[in-house]
Order: sequence, then C-alpha cells, then structure tokens
Amino acid sequence: MLKELNESARKRRILVVEDEAINRLMLGNIISKNYDVVYACNGQEALGILNEEKDTLSLILLDLLMPVMDGFTFMGEIRKDEQLKKIPVVVLTSEEDAEVDSIRLGAMDFIRKPYNNPEVILARVERIIELFEDRQLINRVEYDETGLLTRDFFIEYVQQMDSIDKEDRDLIAVNIGRFSLINEIYGRKQGDKILRITADALKDFLAEHQGLACHLDADQFFLYCRKLENTDDLLKIENDVSVNGEIPNTRLRFGILRDSSKETETEKRMNSAVFACNTLRNNFSKNIAFYDQKLHDDEIMADRLLGDMDRALAEREFKVYLQPKFDIRGDKPHIVAAEALARWKHGKLGMISPGQFIPLFEKNGLVRKLDYCIFEETARIIREWKEKYGCAIPVSVNISRVDLYDKSLKEKLLEIIARNGLEIKDINLEVTESVYMDDDDDIIKRIADLRDTGFDIEMDDFGAGFSSLNMLYSMPIDALKLDMKFARTIDTDRKQYYVVKCIVDFAGYLGVKTICEGVENKEQYEAMKQAGCDLVQGYYFSKPLPEEEFETYIKELKEGLC
Amino acid sequence: MLSIENLKEYGADVEEGLTRCYNNEEFYLKLVAMILDEPSFGALKKAIEDNDLTAAFEAAHGLKGVTANLALSPLRDPVIEITELLRSRTEMDYGPLMTRIDEAYKRLEELIRE
Repeated sequence: MLKELNESARKRRILVVEDEAINRLMLGNIISKNYDVVYACNGQEALGILNEEKDTLSLILLDLLMPVMDGFTFMGEIRKDEQLKKIPVVVLTSEEDAEVDSIRLGAMDFIRKPYNNPEVILARVERIIELFEDRQLINRVEYDETGLLTRDFFIEYVQQMDSIDKEDRDLIAVNIGRFSLINEIYGRKQGDKILRITADALKDFLAEHQGLACHLDADQFFLYCRKLENTDDLLKIENDVSVNGEIPNTRLRFGILRDSSKETETEKRMNSAVFACNTLRNNFSKNIAFYDQKLHDDEIMADRLLGDMDRALAEREFKVYLQPKFDIRGDKPHIVAAEALARWKHGKLGMISPGQFIPLFEKNGLVRKLDYCIFEETARIIREWKEKYGCAIPVSVNISRVDLYDKSLKEKLLEIIARNGLEIKDINLEVTESVYMDDDDDIIKRIADLRDTGFDIEMDDFGAGFSSLNMLYSMPIDALKLDMKFARTIDTDRKQYYVVKCIVDFAGYLGVKTICEGVENKEQYEAMKQAGCDLVQGYYFSKPLPEEEFETYIKELKEGLC
Repeated sequence: MLSIENLKEYGADVEEGLTRCYNNEEFYLKLVAMILDEPSFGALKKAIEDNDLTAAFEAAHGLKGVTANLALSPLRDPVIEITELLRSRTEMDYGPLMTRIDEAYKRLEELIRE
C-alpha cells in the first residue's frame, strides 16, 4: 500500500447498528480505541447514513433483532446496491441459528453477544477490514508499465484518502496533445517513451505535492494531489516531457477539478476533470482549464435534449411558429408569405430556445427528423387555412444539408403535399447559404431538381459567410434572404446601405427576389425599402406567432382579397 | 450510590462487565445505571400480561443482551431462561419466572436510585 495512505490510514470508520443503547455504547467504546464510530438504532436509520457516507465507511457491525428494520432486511437491502454491498458486514448475535442465515445474506463474520474481550473484538474487526480491502484489490494489477497506478487502484486509493481526512484536493486530468501524431510520425516506440517520461514527470511533481498518479489508458493520466497554490507547477511537468522526450513543443493539457468534493463518486470526478481537459482540444493559446459546472450542465442538457427528441416528436412537442413576410414595394406593406420556424414546448423543461436545440440536432444529423416534422405540420396548417378560409399564402420551410443527402427527399415532400391536397407553390424551401458553398455537385443538382419540380428555392442567410454574387446566376435560386446583420446597421451605416442596394440591384437584374430578415424598427424598414428590397420580415412587423394567432392574418386576407 | 462494591454484593460478575469496558469503572457504572432507561423490561412485563408471546420474546431477547453484556447475573439468568421458553412460544404460567425477574430488577433499581 502507498506510503502516504499507511501514514494516515489508522482511523477508518465503522457503523454500529444496534437498538439497545447500552450495547451500542459498550461496543462503540471498544472499537473507538482504533476507529471512528457512527451509530444507528435500526436498519432504516443505517440505510440513511449509508446513503450519505458510504464512501467513508470500512465496516458495518450489525445487530439482527431490531425494531423498524431488522438486520436481515437491512442486509437484503444493501445487497441490492452495487456500492453498498462492497462494505463488509459483521453480525452481532447470540444465536447460532442466525449465523447461517446471515452468511447467506452476505455477512463476513460474527461477534458473539455477550461481547468477548475487547482486544479480541478489535483484532477481529481489524482482520475483516484488512481481508476485505485485500480481496477488493486481489487479481488486479496495481501499477502499469509506466509505473503509475492503474484505474481501479487509483479509484480505490482516492476513496481511501478521502475517508482518512477532509483536506481539499485537486483532481487533474492530464493528456498529451497530438499524441496519435507522435505515434505516427516518430513511431510507437517513441510514443511509449513519451508516456513513460510523462509518468516520471508526474511522479516528480508528486514528490512535492503529495498524492496519487494514474495512467488510465493511451495518453490519459490523472493526478490527485493537495490543492495547488500555483498552477505554474504543472507547466514544469510539460517542460520535463518536452525536454526529456526530445520532441520539441510537446504540449500537455491539464483539466483541473478544484476542491474535489468528497461527496461525489470518484469516477464522476474523473469525468469532470476530463471534461475540463477536453475544452482545451482546439485551443492553442492555453493548456490549463478548470472544470466549469455551467459548461458541464450545458453538455448534460444537450444529451438530455438529444435523448428526448424521439419522444418529443411522438408527443408532438415541436410546434410550428409562423413569421409573416411583407411585400414593401407598394405604398403599404402587405403580407404575402411566411416562414415556418420550429419551437419546442418540452413537457418538463418548458419552452426551449431554437438556438439551443437546432444547432445540436444539426450536429447530430437528427435535424432531418425535425425538418420532416415541420414540413408535415406546415402542410397541415396550410390545408386547414384552405379548408377554413378558402385561401392561403406560401410558407417557406427550412431544408438542412442532411436532408439534401436523402435521395428520396423530393418524393417525400411531394407525397406530403399531395396527401394534404396542396400545390407545390404553397410551400417554399429555404436552403442556407453554406450548403451552396460546399461545392458538392450532387447537392446542387438535388436543389436544382427540386426547383425544376416547381418549388421556389430561397437562399437563407446570404452574406453570413463568404458568399459571392456570382452564385446568384450559377446556382438554382428564386429568392435571396439577406442575413439579418445587414438590417442591423443599414439605417446608420451608409456603406452597409450601398452593399445592400448593390446586392438587391444585382439580384433584381437576374430576376431573383430579395427578402430581408431581422428588420426591427421603422428606420431599418425605410432604408430597406429605399434600397429596393422586395420583402421584409422581422419584429418591426411581427414576431414569429403560434398558428392560432397567425390565423388572424389569413382571416384578414380572406376579407380583403379572397 | 451505585458502586462496584454494591454491584458485587448484588451478585453481578463485575470483573466480566468491567473487562468489556477496558476496566473503566465510571463508564461501566454509567452503563449499568442506563438500564432504568431501557424500555425492554417494561415491554416484557406488558407483553406477558397481554399474553403476547412474540412481543414478549423480542423484549426478553433485548433485555438478555443488555444484562449479559453488563454481567448482571441475578437479572441475566432468569431473563435467559424466559427468553429460551419464549423463543419456542411455550404456553405456560410465566408468573413465577416474572416474579424472579421483577425482584432482581427491583433490587438493581434500588441500588441505582440509592
């Protein structure tokens, strides 16, 4: 066992579960000579204590006959829990018959009542704890080829350190930048050498900071040490690895979980440190990161949203909100179209911002399911307008890059349109500018095919990236949606105004309509109008509305036009 | 006042009890005095009166554990006897046995309260 553990491992904690106060105190007095003692009056109280303090307990001394919850029931309960059943139980009994049943339920040994000589009890307790700790470690390899602790031993010793004292410690995940490249360029042998050098540097570091070091796998290491006063000490590790490894500019990344809480399971804490470490992956300006609860919460939230998506689709939690598009060419702006926008009314979390779930779904390819859902819902809404009011306006739906990889996309859209008794011109498709810039011929052909079928294609977010005006005549586009950054300053920045006017004019020559998004005030609207923009959409006219509210526009249309 | 001498006169195996307390007399006497707070004696009496042999066994078992650990032989011995009878739920007149227990308990109580 490690030196440091031996030095302070004397006081382990024992839970005494006994309903008779006199027996409880007598036994407690016997074992408190060498151990810290926690007491419970019955099985139920003991379970409560275990749930709070399971990581710090080395043994349970358990009476059998007790009110509320007896010892047998208690043992049955802790056997159900992977963590709790790791704590050895010694039964206190005067009944020989009970011994057999106790063994079946997992008791390690017995202490007879009335109690033996205290020294005998102490020796027995000590032996059981030792035996059990050894058994836990048997068949496992303590150190790996780098000379550092392996995962299981590291976890075990971290828990033992935590049970000994409450000193705040840092848990630090360490990994080597571009390690796979080192293996590839310099060879496996050199890679292994770097791992050993890193391990040696971590050991040197511990000589000063005291604690434990682990080599988990590949280039992943951990340190568990006294709280660092100065993180510069970590940079010395990096320097040692770089110099001794003879590979210049070898970088180490350090993810630090500060004041590592004793309440949390060690593996969870390791994950948090790795999480912090991973935030440095594409950051070349720093190599130490601290665990950030908010970042981690975001990650957990993302996982939850991804996991909830199918259920949300089945339970129709995704709603279509409609934002009107106004034609501003005449004297008075009038509504001519709308854009369908996805909103998620989560059953438990309430309204979730599209900024939160759409990029997430896009990253994971799940946005395809959402796009079909929105297309389907939009078709239903338009059908209902037609049924109710005998008229409708075209609604544009967003088509993501992954949708365009689907060879049957066109057939699927046409099927939905036919099923709802709509015409192709009832639904427009918005394809973001970045899709056009991928330079993927198959994708462009598919967009062109959709356009040839009769869909109006709107290029979304024009100007957000590095788009070029020549795309307007080389690409299949019917309308150009100017990114909202243009509207933001068009009324105050004369140069921006001329940029917009130039785009609008150029699009006009090519017969491509221009739609400006994000118009939020009268000045922006007037500047857009002056620049010759065809349609606008934005909060100045209307925010995106749920279908019930949007219906007012259709009613007005019916009264005015239909 | 409760003392080691009194307990010896009472018939307790004081050496045995003290051994379990690392020969700490004060601690031992404190534990003996706590017996008046133990609910098992009252529970045993009531259960016998109600002829509830299961409850009586549980109470007797508890009292046995405590009196045996404290080595209070005059009380412990009849309690062991009644515990074994109650363990098999023997239907019998527990009166005489309870009287012995009662007497031993009262003598101890007097010592403690003196």
